[in-house]
Formats: sequence, structure tokens, C-alpha cells
Amino acid sequence: MSVIEITNLTKRYGNVLAVNDVSLSLEPDKIHGLLGRNGAGKTTLMQLLTGQDFASYGTISVFGAAPVENAHVLRQLCFIKESQKYPEDFRVKHVFRNAPLFFENWHAAFADQLIGEFRLPLNRRIKKLSRGQLSSLGVIVGLASRAPLTFFDEPYLGLDAVARQLFYDRLLEDFAEHPRTVILSTHLIDEVQNLLEHVVVIDQGRILVDSDAEELRGSATTIAGTARAVDEFTAGRTVISRQGLGSLAQATVSRLSAEDRAAAAAAGLDISPVSLQQLVVSLSGAAESASQADNAAQAARGSRGERTLQAERTVQAERTSQKGQDR
Amino acid sequence: MTTLAATSPAAARSAASAPRVVNVLRLHLTNKWTTLGTPLLILAFIFLVNYVIWLLIYTSTPGGDREAVQGTQYSGSIAYVFIYMAIIGIQVVLRTFPFALGFSVTRRDFAFGSALLFGVLSVIYAAILTIMSYIEQATDGWGVGGHMFSTVWYGTGSLPERFSQEFFGLLLFFFVGAAVSTVYLRWRALGQMLLWGIIVLIGLAAVTLITLTNNWSAVGQWFVDAGSYGVVLWTLPITAIAALFGFRVLRRATPVS
Repeated sequence: MSVIEITNLTKRYGNVLAVNDVSLSLEPDKIHGLLGRNGAGKTTLMQLLTGQDFASYGTISVFGAAPVENAHVLRQLCFIKESQKYPEDFRVKHVFRNAPLFFENWHAAFADQLIGEFRLPLNRRIKKLSRGQLSSLGVIVGLASRAPLTFFDEPYLGLDAVARQLFYDRLLEDFAEHPRTVILSTHLIDEVQNLLEHVVVIDQGRILVDSDAEELRGSATTIAGTARAVDEFTAGRTVISRQGLGSLAQATVSRLSAEDRAAAAAAGLDISPVSLQQLVVSLSGAAESASQADNAAQAARGSRGERTLQAERTVQAERTSQKGQDR
Repeated sequence: MTTLAATSPAAARSAASAPRVVNVLRLHLTNKWTTLGTPLLILAFIFLVNYVIWLLIYTSTPGGDREAVQGTQYSGSIAYVFIYMAIIGIQVVLRTFPFALGFSVTRRDFAFGSALLFGVLSVIYAAILTIMSYIEQATDGWGVGGHMFSTVWYGTGSLPERFSQEFFGLLLFFFVGAAVSTVYLRWRALGQMLLWGIIVLIGLAAVTLITLTNNWSAVGQWFVDAGSYGVVLWTLPITAIAALFGFRVLRRATPVS
């Protein structure tokens, strides 16, 4: 029995397909990672799942029913949104005064403990909080609410390393004692990879990966060595990505058998497991170049050369990093 | 850990198991300065300013001529209270809606909880205004013949009349403010411009129609016939339309930035 069941879900804003024909099913009592770049559709997907937004097409079932305007479903979930708005006149303490009214499993002692650990000033106005403190506030509400289904949307923006570690530790501890379904959206993949049991990668509104985390990690391997050895070994295999530096090269290839590994070792190649982050980056990159190749093919009247494509890509990358800083 | 867990969530559970609508009301009343403290302070300030002016007129007219301050019977000083309630109506919806949805409240519960808030606040303010009107009459205009709470328009009838007049008037401003706010929530600035555009056009059409048909005297007569209490009764259908309109618009609004 799955907690979340999505079929052919589509969300359109004007001309933009924020979520594009997504079908997905998530199991209960697991920590799921929702990974993807900025603007991939992570927040939109979570807004649809929590009934905050309306689907253009497709069906959503959360705890067996549509979440929109469904009090029975909604009271079982907690959505910590990165851009959550608070009433103008609210102080931090006001949030904690109201939380027990709306979260049935709210644990005040746990909240107090977290407030101390995250050093959150209770008397401060919400609009005077720093980005990191705002994130801490969300994290504490998300953890102490102990909702059967908890969404964390980029929960640690602006948090320092200590606070991030604290979040991961408390999440795992509390999750062990009070199992529930957690959906964690992030682009800091390396930090959370040991937390996640199941991984969904979304890019441009589409699901790229929907897989068990362990399985995903084993699904690819990085080999490194001289360019010649690497090229000889990868000939005829699926190469997810390849980087070269002078006479040296490194390539990520799909799952290797025991014989493959032996062969690679004999050829003098280093074998290392690929990190989740590398995998997601190369998968997103592969998806991107595939769609760009499509674009290029469509516009193939000689007007759009490789150079303009390259320039576009740079502009896009800059835009993305700027957006990150703005937040 | 388990012993701790046994005591405190029990209290929390009872709070969360209260009707969602009541909890939305409690959410709205989190900061009572916004809904009660500040408006009452401003009201006190306006009263003080008025009182000083009455006193000046009273003392500077020969022999404390009461006629000189009779003009204050036409006072509109408490209009401010009504305008402020419209602002509260706007703020409540605009600021608290995204927060409430973030706390897993349905739009329906949010709307009913907000309506409950408007009802509660209208009762409180109507009671205060009514009590003040009786004090004003009993003290002959605070000892100087001033009028602020009992004027030619309101605060002079029977107790139920005084109270319901203020109450219905306040409700109108709350629900109209809230309805305007829901349009912004759902359609942002564009919806707001359209709404005001439509209101201006309807007003213009009405004025044109009345002028062309030479019916201004009939309109004036209608207000005279209806009396100030009759006019207030006519706000009820407008309040109901605003409430229904706001509810319908809110049901499809999203807290998406």
C-alpha cells in the first residue's frame, strides 16, 4: 500500500509545463529524496501533493484520497515550504503557539529541545529572521509535528554546516523512533545521500529516475585511467558521462558485472562507486543534451551552430546560479 | 522519552482535535494587538482629539452656549473604525491564508474560521460603540455637549437597534475587505485592477442612468424613506453577496508565489 499514488499528473502555468505527465508511487515509512535542479518542478509537485495547488490533468491520491480540500488527508501531513509566508505581525513564538492547534502529533518538548539546539530566538519577528533562521524554524516545525507524511522543501537553505548536520541527525533519530513518510527535496545531494532510501529525480517536470537509493548507487560505476585504456574499455558500453584531462580520462558507465570489474582492473583502470550527486548530474546532463540535440535538429537550417548552443548553455547556467543567490 | 511523550502530546492532541474552524479563529486572534489593541488605541486617540475640540468650543462660546456644539451631531468620527475593519478583513485573508494552508488547513475551514472572526470582532466592537453611545447620552455629551457615538445617523435608537446597526455595518466592511483580498490572492494585481475597473464602470453606469432619467430626487427620497436604520438593513444583502463571492473565489485560490 503506497502513501502517494500519482497518475499522469500534469501542471501547466501558461506555456510552461511545470509538471509533465508524471506517474509515481511512494511507499510509507521511508525517507524519499526528491532531487533535481532549480526550477525542475520539485516545489510544484509538492504543492500539488499537499492540495495547495490544483492539477491541470491527472490524478493524485494521498492516503487513498485526493488531497485538495480534504481535511482528513491534510491533517495527516505537514508541508515545510521553502518560501512559506507568515502573517505580517508574527513572532517566532506565535508559530509555536499555533502549531499544536493544527498538528495532532505535535510534540512540544521535542520542539523546545530543537529550539535550543538551533538557537532560534523565540521573541524575534519572523520578517527579521535571517534565511538560515527561517529554515531552522521550518525544520523544527517539520520535525516536531511528527506528521505521518512530512514534506521538506529545500529545508536547509542558509543553514550553517552545524545546523545542517543537526537536522540530519535529529531527522534520523526521530524517524527511527517514530517511523513516518518523509519527502525531502534538495539539490544538496551529496549531503543527504546516506539519509535517503528512495530517490526520485525530476528534471523539466519529468521523472528521470524513480529508484531505490542503493540500487541507484550500484547502477553505475566510475572508471579512471589513461584515456586509451578508458576508451578501449568503454567501447560498446553505455557511457553516462566522460571527462578527459590530457592523457587521463574518467568515465561513468552503467552497471558492471564481476567479470567486467576484473577486466577493468586488468587494464589498469581505477574503479570507484559513483556518488548519487554525480549520477544525478550526469543523468540531468544527458537529458539536457538530448533535448538540446532535439532543438538543434529542429532548427537545423544552418542558423544555429554549436557555438550558439554553447553560449545558451552558459547563459542558462548563470541564470540558475543567480537564482540560487537571490534566495 | 516515553514518559515525556505520554504527558505533553495528550494536551496537544486535545487542542488539535477541536473543530478546525475554531482553531482558525484562534490562529487569527494570535496577536490581539492587530485585531483589538491597535484599533481601540486609535479610537481612544480620536476621542481625545474630539474632546479637546469640544472643550475649546464649549469654553470659548458665551455662557457655555450648548447650541454651538450641536453641530457635532453630524460627526463621522467613528467612520474610522469601519474603515479599519475593512483593512483587517483584507489583512486577515492576505497574510494568514498562505500560512494557514501551510499548516494543513483547508480553504473551506479557513473561510469559515475567518467569517467566525469577523462575527466575533463585530460583536465586540458593536458592544463597545453601543456602550459608549449610552455613556455619551447619560453625560450630556461628556459634559461638554459633544457627539461622537450618538449622532443623527446612529447610536440613538433602542438598544437592539443601536447594537444591530453597528454590528451589521461592521460585518459589511469586514466581508467586503475580505472579498477584495481574495481577488488579489487568486488573480494577483491584474485581478485587482479588473475588479476596481468593473466597480468604477458599474458606478459610472448607475450615475449616468440616474442622471439621464432625472431620478436623483427619487434616490434621495429613497434614503430619506429608508432612514439610517433602513439603509443599514440594506447592507445585509451586500454583505451576503460579498461573503459568498469571497468564499467562491477563495476555494480556488493558491498560496503559490
